Amino acid sequence: MRYYRTQGLLFLVPILVIVGIFYGMIVWDFVVALTGWQGLQATWKFVGLYHFSRLFGLQRFWVNLGNNLRWLLFFIAPTVFVGFLLAYLLNNLGRGEKILWQIFLFPMSLSFIITGVLWAWMYDPSSGLINSLLRFIGVNTSRLGWIALPQTAIYCMILAAFWQYLGFSLVIYLGAIKGIPYEMVEAAKMDGASHLTVAFRVIFPNVGHATLICTTMLAITTVKVFDLVWVMTRGGPGVSTEVLPYLMYRLTFDSRDIGMGAATSIVILGFSAVMVIPYSLWALKKWVRV
Amino acid sequence: MKERYFLFLSALLVVVLAVVWMIPIYALVTTSLKTQQEVALQKYLVPPQQFQFTNFAKAFQVLKIGLRNSLVITLTATFVAVFIGSLAGYALTSFNFKFATLLFFFIVVVTFLPYHIVLIPITHILKTLSLLNTYAGLILIYTILSAPMATLITGTFFMKVPPELEEAALLDGCKPFPFYLRVLLPVSLPGLISATILVFIQIYNEFLLGIALTRGPDVKPVMPFLAELKGTQIAQWHIQMAGALITSIIPVAVFIFLGRYFISGLMAGYGKG
Repeated sequence: MRYYRTQGLLFLVPILVIVGIFYGMIVWDFVVALTGWQGLQATWKFVGLYHFSRLFGLQRFWVNLGNNLRWLLFFIAPTVFVGFLLAYLLNNLGRGEKILWQIFLFPMSLSFIITGVLWAWMYDPSSGLINSLLRFIGVNTSRLGWIALPQTAIYCMILAAFWQYLGFSLVIYLGAIKGIPYEMVEAAKMDGASHLTVAFRVIFPNVGHATLICTTMLAITTVKVFDLVWVMTRGGPGVSTEVLPYLMYRLTFDSRDIGMGAATSIVILGFSAVMVIPYSLWALKKWVRV
Repeated sequence: MKERYFLFLSALLVVVLAVVWMIPIYALVTTSLKTQQEVALQKYLVPPQQFQFTNFAKAFQVLKIGLRNSLVITLTATFVAVFIGSLAGYALTSFNFKFATLLFFFIVVVTFLPYHIVLIPITHILKTLSLLNTYAGLILIYTILSAPMATLITGTFFMKVPPELEEAALLDGCKPFPFYLRVLLPVSLPGLISATILVFIQIYNEFLLGIALTRGPDVKPVMPFLAELKGTQIAQWHIQMAGALITSIIPVAVFIFLGRYFISGLMAGYGKG
């Protein structure tokens, strides 16, 4: 066995290189964010927090950050909550369960671009699906601009993502609920517990790991909604639907301001790391049997 | 009696919600088959009078280069990433390396961190290597970004293989690589399929790198083309929907035919092996 271990090390070389490159790139981000740049040319001069102070001076940055927080709040809570309820109901029904969860899950295999093209049409104020249906039942839609209005645009976008990701939390919860000992639920029912009690007092506390998975994964997804923003509104109207990765892209590739772009990346990194690192530590215990 | 009433109500609720969830897809499919005049009537829930397949021809004309590029890039990068990932998954789960846990941790973190944060270094690396706007460059980057996830998923499945299998094989003189190739991979085929599907769909659906690392249509993947189609065919909903449908055929087919692997891959990838 020992003799083979050198071969085992060889098998690890490619992934070691890849992981090394990834962490190297993160270090690179820091270097770029802390040094001077002339266009795409590095001057290799340490400038401290200069790029950060410029970034924090931008009003647009704070709008973007606020939007990221809106995504966290209004995307995660409903997706987790409705996903759990739906999983509970489906598990109770027993019949037709499989076809039903597939209906909810399959939008997840689509890309944000496809979802974005589809929902941008649905939200179109003059000839979109939603307003045409509303007009059909006699609603005056002249003031329903959906993604064309700065006040509502981001929430409309969140709804599209909710449509796409509900199946994800549903499936995670469904798997977790099936793992709960049947006797426990049965005992609670024998004691006359209502469905509400069973769902929230008996089952919900016992599927904490599913809640953790859903919350973290959906939180990471809110960083990845760049695509949806790009294809549905290009950040508009104004900058009302922009999120930080979008700002990062614009600063880097349109304004050619690499320093500020890298500073934005660092902010996103901080934002993601507080979710990813604790989650990874937790998940590690499941993978490595200790 | 009360219980049956509850079951009936919840069934009704779930079915209604499922119908609501399908309406966008139904509207997408029917609209993609309508003529421009029909679309202009805005009766989106009425089925098309006659199937207008020319919409697809039109959309396909725009998307075909992108589809070709996406297939070349996605298939190659998926293959390489799953190969590298499964080798690493094997090494990490079978050899009891002291540092395995630490390396696993680094891999998990990299898997979940959004790759958006390293967009700038990626661009620089490809520029230095003169690989911007090439298949090789995109394949390289997608491989780097996907191999950690492939390691996690395959590793999770390899852990379920009884260690006696490997001990017996090694005692019979089977070397690690032949064991990996001839025993471990076939035994863990479901895990391999799961990893392949998830990596494949992730790369195929990717958009940001597709626009940041390419110039012009030559190697650009399909998602940027679809986004452009939306920009150029303004309010031509039937063409837009035909394009969206063409682009979604591959992931939806994967989901329909290999759905259970999709689920088990998801579960494995999130630490619920």
